[in-house]
Amino acid sequence: MITNELKNVILKQLNLDEFEMTDETVAPDVPGWDSLNHINIIVAVEEFFKVRFKSMEVLKLKNVGDLQRLVDAKLNK
Amino acid sequence: MIDFNTDETTTLWKRWVLNARNTPDREAIVHWIGGEEAVRWTFKSMLDTARKFSVMIKKMGIKEGEVCAIIIRHNPFFYPLYLGISRTGALPAVLAYPNPRLHPDKFRQGIEGMSHRSGLDYILTERELEPLIRPLIDNSESTIKAVYFPLEWDLDEEFNEKDDKEIESFSDLIKPTSPALLQHSSGTTGLQKPVVLSHRAILNHVKFYGESIKLSENDKIASWLPLYHDMGLIAAFHLPLACGITSVQISPFEWVIAPVLLLDAITKEKATMCYLPNFAYNILAEKIDEDELNEISLESLRLVVNCSEPVRDESHKKFIGKFKKYGLNMSALAACYAMAETTYAITQTEPGKEIKVVHVDRQELANGIVKQAENNSITRTCVSSGKLIEQCEVMIVDDNRNEVVEGLVGEIAVKSGSMFDGYRNYPEKTAEVVSNGWYFTGDYGFNFENEFFIIGRKKDIIIVAGKNLYPEDIEDTVNVVEGIIPGRIIAFGEEDHSMGTELVSVVAETKFEDEKERNRLRLNIIKAGMCIDVNIHKVYLVPARWLIKSSAGKPSRKANKERLTSGTDPLVWSR
Repeated sequence: MITNELKNVILKQLNLDEFEMTDETVAPDVPGWDSLNHINIIVAVEEFFKVRFKSMEVLKLKNVGDLQRLVDAKLNK
Repeated sequence: MIDFNTDETTTLWKRWVLNARNTPDREAIVHWIGGEEAVRWTFKSMLDTARKFSVMIKKMGIKEGEVCAIIIRHNPFFYPLYLGISRTGALPAVLAYPNPRLHPDKFRQGIEGMSHRSGLDYILTERELEPLIRPLIDNSESTIKAVYFPLEWDLDEEFNEKDDKEIESFSDLIKPTSPALLQHSSGTTGLQKPVVLSHRAILNHVKFYGESIKLSENDKIASWLPLYHDMGLIAAFHLPLACGITSVQISPFEWVIAPVLLLDAITKEKATMCYLPNFAYNILAEKIDEDELNEISLESLRLVVNCSEPVRDESHKKFIGKFKKYGLNMSALAACYAMAETTYAITQTEPGKEIKVVHVDRQELANGIVKQAENNSITRTCVSSGKLIEQCEVMIVDDNRNEVVEGLVGEIAVKSGSMFDGYRNYPEKTAEVVSNGWYFTGDYGFNFENEFFIIGRKKDIIIVAGKNLYPEDIEDTVNVVEGIIPGRIIAFGEEDHSMGTELVSVVAETKFEDEKERNRLRLNIIKAGMCIDVNIHKVYLVPARWLIKSSAGKPSRKANKERLTSGTDPLVWSR
């Protein structure tokens, strides 16, 4: 389940007001989330949650649900 | 330095065979995969597998001169497949694997447009793309004869020595002037221009370009560049392969997600060279956490070549600022000016010497005059793309294609010993840009102390992260979005200093005045861009009759861009 916090960080980075996101949402579904923006989103998520991702962890992410689980794991949730 | 003798081998295949004979166990390709063991092809093992692919190519009925489009993701069998096609005399043409956001119809239109223009005969791809591509084959008007899935071929089972010998004998007869490959110069959907290069053009280029960068047997090139791009294909694939040195190939998709992969590969493989478009300097300098750089060493790098986008001094400064402490030498920073039409490079900065930078008066430059900046000048810093390489010529010309004197800005016209013979099946486009053996590039620049500086473009092409986009493609796609006044739209590139590249902006006239309606329209414009795999970064909405028209009666990109960026018009809504 995607938290509002994560969703809002992504939406803010993409300059979007609203976009429905589920665990299965992938980057190409979301307006503005292209390969160049991907790294900006990851950095924004790291800064907001005060966590650090390893590149290999980011490489394995398949969808927004994976990103949420990675954030949760870093925060020991 | 490698003494590259073009008389010794007259085709690419013969050159690769020679390398496999001289240095069979040297690594040709290190296929890098994030978090996994790399796949390593020696010159011998790759040639052996390429032979097996060529037997299959023959079995499929593919003949000399026919074009085989390869649409395959980062895969270790890509390389011997490419070589195997070349051995049979067919032409490999690497195309981009479609991004999932690209609408299937747009992808098909793009391939169809290319098939008519470039004369694609076969598509070699992955099974996953079959539903997308099959309808193209079934269309009776298509030039595409068949689609094959080479990664599924049982190469050992199908191999036989008789066919292998026949192909080898045939391959011996391929002429140096025969076409060796087809690459597409730029464009998003139907506007790509097909460039065919001969064996001689490529081998000549390898010789003279290799000399300009003092390529030696100790060099090793690390690259994440896509192989459908001339910089990736020629500089990071054909050049090392022909010269018998190693190239480390990283997936572009993986690199953009995890940029540290390139640094990791350079460190572990002790790579000496890499090629990067300008935006990559910013990404590498600013988007990698220091924690990930503990084991990185860039001491082995002797050349980091900036190409494919305007070279930005601040990107170089960021890059060296970040990586100096990891062993990067300032004099490794280099640049070149290159294009598919001349196989690759025209100019190159001198290896081992710090790249030349000139500070000029911005206002004078805008008027076409190169004047060194003075104390009270508003300064523009221009970075050299280097000196001419052997067999290349440059002429800076005015709007009437007359040569201008040194110190003036003009369009860059080039000649090269490795020049293309014109766009394939596109004589009208060739006639537009080629005259008396000169190729008129559409780029603006100047010559200063025998070095060439590229500062802008005559054409309205937008270069996003090294990828050329035509505004017409974007405008045509967005034009049909409900709420836009038809035909009243322009697309242009806006400089993004933090990313070190241009980003796409769109201006559209609309009658919508309500904030909610405008936001919805903006989202629909962005979604329309997604269908052709273009990310529209900023949308400007303006009232009817706001856009300035050109003399041709169409909205002018240049005038409207200037109007938008120079003032704060209360009628402009942007986000």
